[in-house]
Amino acid sequence: MLALIKIEWLKIKKYPAFWWMLGIVALTYPGINLMFYRIFLQITTRKDMTGAVAKSLLGNPFAFPETWHSVGYFSSFFVMIPAILVIMIITNEYQYKTHRQNVIDGWSKEQFITSKILDVAIITIVASIMYLLTAAGYGFTVQDDNKANWMEEIKYIPLFLLQTFAQLTIAFLLGFLIKKAFIALGIFIFYFLIIENIATGLLKNVVKTSVGRFLPLEISDKLIPVPKFLGKIDEASYNQNLAEVNEHIVYTILLTAGIWWLCYFVYRKRDL
Amino acid sequence: MESVLSLNAISKSYGKIKALNNVSYNVPKGSVFGILGPNGSGKTTMLGIVLNALQADTGSFSWFGMPGSPATRKRIGSLLETPNFYHYLSAVDNLKITQAISQRGNEEDIHKALEIVKLTERKNTRFSTYSLGMKQRLAIGAALLGNPEVIVFDEPTNGLDPVGILEIRELIKELAQQGKTIIMASHLLDEVEKVCTHVAIMKRGTLLTAGAVDEVLSNEDIVEISAANMDKMVEIFTNYTGVTHIKKQESNNTIQLFLKLGEANLEAVNKHCFDNGIVLNHLVLKKKSLETKFFELTNN
Repeated sequence: MLALIKIEWLKIKKYPAFWWMLGIVALTYPGINLMFYRIFLQITTRKDMTGAVAKSLLGNPFAFPETWHSVGYFSSFFVMIPAILVIMIITNEYQYKTHRQNVIDGWSKEQFITSKILDVAIITIVASIMYLLTAAGYGFTVQDDNKANWMEEIKYIPLFLLQTFAQLTIAFLLGFLIKKAFIALGIFIFYFLIIENIATGLLKNVVKTSVGRFLPLEISDKLIPVPKFLGKIDEASYNQNLAEVNEHIVYTILLTAGIWWLCYFVYRKRDL
Repeated sequence: MESVLSLNAISKSYGKIKALNNVSYNVPKGSVFGILGPNGSGKTTMLGIVLNALQADTGSFSWFGMPGSPATRKRIGSLLETPNFYHYLSAVDNLKITQAISQRGNEEDIHKALEIVKLTERKNTRFSTYSLGMKQRLAIGAALLGNPEVIVFDEPTNGLDPVGILEIRELIKELAQQGKTIIMASHLLDEVEKVCTHVAIMKRGTLLTAGAVDEVLSNEDIVEISAANMDKMVEIFTNYTGVTHIKKQESNNTIQLFLKLGEANLEAVNKHCFDNGIVLNHLVLKKKSLETKFFELTNN
């Protein structure tokens, strides 16, 4: 396993897109959260009564412990940035035929897929570290006296990890099956931004069914429900979402494991 | 003789197209084994199968007496079809990956391999900036990395200039002298004839013949003669004992007499002509060229 990580690191460390991804994530994760933080500040710093009421009702979503939840939720909007890298990494292997050469040089086909799981894991960890630093950064810097409870909601760290890994796995699957970077990227972004949101909305509001939560990305989206302060809009739904998290951990793990099993299966049968 | 690679009734189809049809042969240890065939004859498909890049529909193969596996592939340096490298990495970084996967050689061997293929000066520049010939050289370097006992070259001189072709030919000879087994697919007859000890000829997925170059080529003796009266020459040899057929070559005013292997007697041919009033101005025993044999086999 360590040998595979070393080889993948040789491939990634000088790949410019990896460092671009890191840079963009380092900007967008704090950036999107800063945007929502400023909106929150605008509401809560009003001179009239509404500001004070809002503050007492909402709490500070960027203070400990809620920062783990809020920052995780907003940062997950940008999973498409590491997803682009994941798709590039697998489609590059096809474009350069290096996946074939790796096997010819002495890897088993299973080792090749395992090496790609490790790539996705490395990228997930990098994205999660960015999330962790952003969430902790807000937690420690926003004005709030209560910093002792910083550990309370840290369950969102493993949830963010799992969600990112699961969603990047779907991006990988698209690149793996489609083989062409731009087509796979287009489908992923179009599906992530438009199709699934429309489908979920239609299923929930028009068809009046909860089946939408089983759509591929929605399964893991449910791991980090809307933050508490937004949940106040529809508290019943918020509480139900919270109650469903454990169930969705199981679904996410099953779906992700199923996708990797499919990759192993297809690659073993496929001519390279 | 001990076999490095044995193929047993390998078949492979792409839809209705039969890419390989029941192909079997052995590659002896220490041989330079040339696989010849026109484009689309199944050479690369066959190498792809024995290197586990492609799956055979039926049949089996073994390397060093064992079924093909990652462990056997690590003992083989391979260039299959095209140079396959990470475009954003340098030659050194690409070979580090080859070295880490194959576990052949070390850091020092990487530099040695680059030196052999004359890429030392460009070792730290990105692969994407290389010319076609340089890419091919790097692929050859990767195959040589760590001194493997078997080397598979699929069209090794593709993209190389004449000097490069000569250098690779010399390199193959040198490797053969070191006792390495070299399996080389090519459609360049000249290339195979100059370096190979064994040859397999393929056409549309079928193996036409395989064996030592001398055996494959020399199943006939060819006596080439020339005299002023060509028609008379043809006439006197029409019923000559041992002659299977006669070929008239208008281009250089000669005729070729094809005789069973070992039956050509130049003295007797000369005497026969003289007895029939013909004085020869050219008499030579010719070995059949690989080119002749190849066209003979593949045009049937």
